Amino acid sequence: MKAPLTTITPEISIADAERITLRNGLSLYILSAEEFEILRLSIVFRAGSASQRVPFSASATANLLAEGSERMSAQAISEALDYHGSYFDVNIDRDYAYINFAMLSKFVEPTLDVAAEILLHPTFPEEEVATYCAKRKQRLEIDRTKVDVRAREAFAEAMFGPAHPYGQRFDEAAYDALHRADIEEFYHRHYTADNGFAVCSGRVTEQERQIIIRLLEQLPVGSTPYRNTLPAPQQQHEVRLAHNGAVQSSIRIGRLLFGREHPDFLGMQVVAAALGGYFGSRLMQNLRERNGFTYGVISAMVNFAHAGYLAIATQVGTEVTEAALREIYAEIERLRTEPMAEEELQLVKNIMTGEMMRILDGPFGVADVTIENILCGHKNSIIAENVARIRAITPAEVQQLAARYLTREELITVVVG
Amino acid sequence: MISYKKRILKNGLTVVVNRDRLSKLSAVNLLYKVGARNEDPDRTGFAHLFEHLMFRGTRDVPVYDLPVQMASGEDNAFTNNDYTNFYLTLPVGNIETALWLESDRMQGLDITPEKLATEQRVVIEEFRQRYLNQPYGDQTMLLRELAYRVHPYRWSTIGRSPEHIEAATLADVEHFYRTHYRPSNAILSMSADLDEEAMLDLAERWFGDLRDTPAAPAPIPQEPAQHEPRIQIVEREVPATTISIAYHMGDRLSPDFCTGDLVSDMLSGGDSSRLYQHLVKQQRLFASVNAYISGDVDPGLFILTGQLLPDTREEEAIEAFHRELEVLKEQPATPYELEKVKNKFEANTLFGELNVMNKAMNLGYYAFLGDLELINREVAQYRSITPERIFDFSQRTFRTENSSTLIYRAKR
Repeated sequence: MKAPLTTITPEISIADAERITLRNGLSLYILSAEEFEILRLSIVFRAGSASQRVPFSASATANLLAEGSERMSAQAISEALDYHGSYFDVNIDRDYAYINFAMLSKFVEPTLDVAAEILLHPTFPEEEVATYCAKRKQRLEIDRTKVDVRAREAFAEAMFGPAHPYGQRFDEAAYDALHRADIEEFYHRHYTADNGFAVCSGRVTEQERQIIIRLLEQLPVGSTPYRNTLPAPQQQHEVRLAHNGAVQSSIRIGRLLFGREHPDFLGMQVVAAALGGYFGSRLMQNLRERNGFTYGVISAMVNFAHAGYLAIATQVGTEVTEAALREIYAEIERLRTEPMAEEELQLVKNIMTGEMMRILDGPFGVADVTIENILCGHKNSIIAENVARIRAITPAEVQQLAARYLTREELITVVVG
Repeated sequence: MISYKKRILKNGLTVVVNRDRLSKLSAVNLLYKVGARNEDPDRTGFAHLFEHLMFRGTRDVPVYDLPVQMASGEDNAFTNNDYTNFYLTLPVGNIETALWLESDRMQGLDITPEKLATEQRVVIEEFRQRYLNQPYGDQTMLLRELAYRVHPYRWSTIGRSPEHIEAATLADVEHFYRTHYRPSNAILSMSADLDEEAMLDLAERWFGDLRDTPAAPAPIPQEPAQHEPRIQIVEREVPATTISIAYHMGDRLSPDFCTGDLVSDMLSGGDSSRLYQHLVKQQRLFASVNAYISGDVDPGLFILTGQLLPDTREEEAIEAFHRELEVLKEQPATPYELEKVKNKFEANTLFGELNVMNKAMNLGYYAFLGDLELINREVAQYRSITPERIFDFSQRTFRTENSSTLIYRAKR
């Protein structure tokens, strides 16, 4: 049968969150969607690993928040959360720690009672710290037997240098030297009202609002965060590491560029998407479809608070590593020297807008995007603006960006395996 | 609670639709009732290989992904032991693009020797990346082989070895396509902000003219009861030893299924669970533990697995697992503990109904089980489970002669 007509994606816009400033200065953003019978509360602190002085102390702080408080043991905390079917999770990256509580609307009050213990009164008991360190150490050892984990670490180091907070990697043994006092100190310096913000989504009626405010207003003021100075990156352009018994090599290629605040960030997102941002991307067609070198390859722009880079990642059979590298460089070169066909660029644009619609489907997706916007200092209206800017980009601009930013000499290549 | 309407077209295609009034996206799911359990033991991995081939283009649409992406859509698929599932999300205005493409590739697939060869290479790479080049990658494969002697669940969807994938011929591909990819062996489900009758009519419009070619499915050999314990030890280059124990249990529609699921949650659902509290935190025998049911349609497995801490002896770890199971057989669960795992199931169900894709996928799955209404009845079904049923399930299931133990030993 004949293909149906496709329509252009409608404008994507999301409402701005309602912002309330609490008595302790913390900003609470509310995205109410009363059709649902669930609620999620997220608190974001600037407490990522780049802020730490002692190795692994930032992640240990986040991961041990629920392991015991002044009034509740670790078991009592997990028991109370599990009993109500509530979820607590933490994520940590180089810059931030994200604390999330998700719950059924009928269990908001008991869940947030436990949240208060986790957020405001953690005690980081000695025993829990010891178990945590032993487990993490073992897990890290296992992770580092995987080529892609080693490649990811080596890539960060090659891009920023071993002394830079974004490039540093620590030996597993550093867990042996991590003490309770380091964690407690990190917590008191960073988990404060003036070093973060909160976002809640799902059903937020007046009742939930009051419970949430009562909880968050207890966060203390007066953070004394560590602010590590960021040294100039020290780069290494070619790193090759052997890996015992590997049948595949893990490849990372990329370049240090700039963060989301830079006027060319969005344009480079288009370049990255064309290269390896979707299933039919140039790299995917070349490495997977034409050559069968790999199961998958991706490229993307990665954004940190104080940096940003483009990265390409793939795993290929060890016997085709060199051939795969040649093809990746050739695809980058093709973007730099030939303008992209209008139709291909249209495709990339439609994919990027579709992607945004999918992320925004459901109340938690809207909350995640809102958090990212807040971190970049934007209102939610930035989404519509960005979509409009992506739609306006021309093949000539894509080529100019690739030619300017992806010169062969500037690329960093890491191969493990 | 998911509202839906269902229609069976003249050619046998089952269609189920749900209206979601909030989303600007539409989700389209097409489930084929064929999985690794329908494979020939000498040609394993075929259902999954075929799933890949479905993206290789038809006579009318040479590149499947292109029109999807042009319509701001996204598509993917997965294969498991029981079925093969294709799914897409697109802006609601473009839902017909998905219907057109799915209808087109149900009968118009165009596989050449070159396309087959490329896809064989890709799948063999996937085999290496996920199962061979990955610490613990072959663990579940070994456990399946140990627990099943007859039923095709004894192999994973990726297959028993890369050689099986290499051996696939074009004739195999054509035969498989004719046998399994036809309207009466498929379920189409959708969720979008569209009138339900209108969605059913769209299905009629795009699929109504496809011809069905009925084929009797080959019977699946069922696993006989196990009468003696099995144990296997392998040594691998991994940092820590893991131990897994599998017990045979009932099928997806048997009362044992939800009971087994709740028991697995009592044992390892969250940090307050028994195994985590007792074996990880208090006795410090394991770095991590898990209990889960395989979730298959035919009688499946209840599995315990754990990664040992460096100083834990293997016998000690196995003994600890057995002790926890003995408790289930001796003391009934408390109402408190049961309420907890039931709340968790309810929360998971609600969190799983937040977007159109999950809803369309679930509708297809429950229609495949042959009990569509179960999608809305299941929370109540879990709610009705009593301590006596847990007790009874544990007594029948956790018997030594029903167990298969895999010791995946770290080389020192």
